[in-house]
Amino acid sequence: MVVRAAGQSLPALPSAVEVVDDPREGLGPVQGLAAGLTAVADRAEIAFVCSTDMPFLHPAFARRVLRAAAEGPDVALPVARGYPQPLAAAYRTALAAVAERLVREQRLRPAFLFDEVVVVRLDDAALRADPMLAALDPDLDSVLNVNEPADYEAARARPAPEVTVQRFGALADGHRGPQPVRAATVAGAAAAAGLALDGHVVAALNGDQITRDGELPLARGDTVFFLSADAGG
Amino acid sequence: MPAGGYFGRALVVDAGTAAASVLPLSDDLLRAYLGGAGLGAWLMHRLAPPGVDPLAPEAPLAFVFSPLVGTPLTTSAKFAVVAKSPLTGMLNDALSSSHFAISGKLTGNDAIVIRGACRRLSVLLVDGDGVRLADAADLSGLPAAEAERRLRDRLGRGWRIAAIGPAGERGVRYATVSHDGRHAGRGGLGAVLGAKRLKAVAVRASAKVPSADPQAVLGAARDLRARSFGPATAKYRELGTLANLLAFNAISTLPSRNFQTATFEGAPQLAAEELAQLRTVTRNSCASCTIGCEHIYRAKGGKQARVEYENVFALGPMCGVSDPDAVLAASGRCDELGLDTISAGGTIAWAMECAERGLIDAPWLRFGDADALIRALGEIGARQGLGELLAEGTRRASERVGGGSAAFAMHVKGLELPGYEPRTLQGMALGLAVNSRGADHNRSGAYEADLSGDYDRMAGGDAQVAGAIETEDRAAIMDSLILCKFLRGVFTEPFDEWATLLAAVTGWDTDGPELRQTARRIVLAKRAFNIREGWQPEDDWLPERLLSEPITVASGRVAALTPGRLRGMIDGYYAARGLDSEGRPAPASGADLHLTT
Repeated sequence: MVVRAAGQSLPALPSAVEVVDDPREGLGPVQGLAAGLTAVADRAEIAFVCSTDMPFLHPAFARRVLRAAAEGPDVALPVARGYPQPLAAAYRTALAAVAERLVREQRLRPAFLFDEVVVVRLDDAALRADPMLAALDPDLDSVLNVNEPADYEAARARPAPEVTVQRFGALADGHRGPQPVRAATVAGAAAAAGLALDGHVVAALNGDQITRDGELPLARGDTVFFLSADAGG
Repeated sequence: MPAGGYFGRALVVDAGTAAASVLPLSDDLLRAYLGGAGLGAWLMHRLAPPGVDPLAPEAPLAFVFSPLVGTPLTTSAKFAVVAKSPLTGMLNDALSSSHFAISGKLTGNDAIVIRGACRRLSVLLVDGDGVRLADAADLSGLPAAEAERRLRDRLGRGWRIAAIGPAGERGVRYATVSHDGRHAGRGGLGAVLGAKRLKAVAVRASAKVPSADPQAVLGAARDLRARSFGPATAKYRELGTLANLLAFNAISTLPSRNFQTATFEGAPQLAAEELAQLRTVTRNSCASCTIGCEHIYRAKGGKQARVEYENVFALGPMCGVSDPDAVLAASGRCDELGLDTISAGGTIAWAMECAERGLIDAPWLRFGDADALIRALGEIGARQGLGELLAEGTRRASERVGGGSAAFAMHVKGLELPGYEPRTLQGMALGLAVNSRGADHNRSGAYEADLSGDYDRMAGGDAQVAGAIETEDRAAIMDSLILCKFLRGVFTEPFDEWATLLAAVTGWDTDGPELRQTARRIVLAKRAFNIREGWQPEDDWLPERLLSEPITVASGRVAALTPGRLRGMIDGYYAARGLDSEGRPAPASGADLHLTT
């Protein structure tokens, strides 16, 4: 789910992504939190919340933070690379009402919210205690955000993440078994494997969803299976 | 004058006397049901006495041909065997491909229906000279392939033979009908033929049937042939359906150890990618097929075995067996006995779990024990020892054993589940639950929608309902024309393209929208037959295990299928099909379905 200012134009998003309009512009992250948590409150108890300018956010980071939140606090707040990360944190969706009240009271900084609820803070060591996160994002690049054109260029200049591809069935064509490649998207992984995502090839990311979306981003440690789309028999 | 591609008649034979009568099939009726599975459903409505015991003499069994049989269209040499199933008690059609389809149709009939029973084991002969019976006592107990070979030697050239193995003779409820080494496999139609004391049916061509527009048919055949060599069929050509196994294992859709898990540690040893490098002997095609999906492997001792995904799934991962030689041997044993591999493997896997839980006294029967698998198959085929129980299939066996074993008896309507994990393929879960044949991947191919990437395969909702209906409708037409489903990927606008083929053969001014209506009619006619035979709303459901034991996939995600979610999808399916809230068609739909004529 993406929360945006009402009418704000967004880049093309996958069809499964919901877009929620924030009814009040310019009131900062607590207002965005209120809008987003309200929108998901009927379907989840906890939500991972992040800004949209974190190109290296790793799913393992989100899982680590969500696990901490599931142990009972209202908020699991990473304090990574020296700073609190309220926009890479997990919140109980029931906090929507608290956030709404804080906005009404013009107390617009996340710190005001943290003063009123139970917060578990996760420093670098606590985050890296998760072996999966330690292996896949040892420098906690997940919390790097992009604010200036130079940041963006620097992010673009980084090598694509290391991922594993595996081709099955007729697509294997003598290349059986997992194969390490660098690819930032599913299409990039397909190209690295010598395949094109056409009508007869689909991908499965980490053994989970099947996709034909070549723009689906990849993170370090991901595995992409390529299968014949003509399954059955 | 019948439409092109048809004789406009079914031959109805009494196996007790060899007397035959002709049932005229009108143009309207043929256009409404086409042939194959569709026409078979109509024939059962018309000829099966309500409530008939499937193994009683008066129960009809039909070999049903179709308008495209005999044309040069690739994969069209197929036929349907249709009867009320002794395994499910519901309508069952099992398709297969061989020269039997061509010769059977060219006896001058769109269907051959057999009623009654012989006094002793016999073979039924049908050709231009009429119908007669011949003694088959010397064929008793023989594998179908051997019986077929001896009959060909006896009868001479030109005869094509469908036969049953020992399992059919002994009434195993999932016995097959076999011909040219292939099987009409599901639902126990071999037991129906066996109950009629018929070891085989032999047919010999004696007639011709022209197409309405032979040049158009030839042009379409050339085009279809060229497309059949393209990427949509590469998987079938290069590795066959066994190519599914390793891929399904990777995405947690490979049911293993009686659906206790959705991955199998022994999958790499059984994978097509592995076997093809080490063991492939040859590749075969069915009659009139340019795809050639059939891969023959060499087993230990030099024996050859025909390998497909479903038999390896059912006799391998489902039973916890990872030794490829054992799985190939088990598959060959099923061929000899005339057993449906899916139901055989599913029933044995259930028994293995029962034995491990102490519910049946069979300490020799354990998951992963290849010798136990082979022994169990032999006992089933002979109906000896534990085989007497297991020959009944999982539903009846679990009713006898009790002890909560029904919760892990993996069947729908009595038909054992194929190798598609419903918790991680939830459109398929719906398709399996509502399909008239029971747990079936050929009449409901919703896995195709699940694996398309168009929706979340581990969720359930409107998209899954739409996917299940679309694939069910496509199957209804392909199974009635008949065209092989392995060809489905070459069609971009399938209903329109199929209508063009049908029009060229028959001369009808049919189109895609009409075929969509035909598909709906066939699906509903099958459901109506089942309702007549005692179907209840609770029959459209899945085994308890699938609804109470979530699966964790490689990503760490938990795939759960709750009763509420399944109920919601079933309700959506009923609504979209125009059924009432309990899954029944409106009472007035009989005329729409051409069931009152």
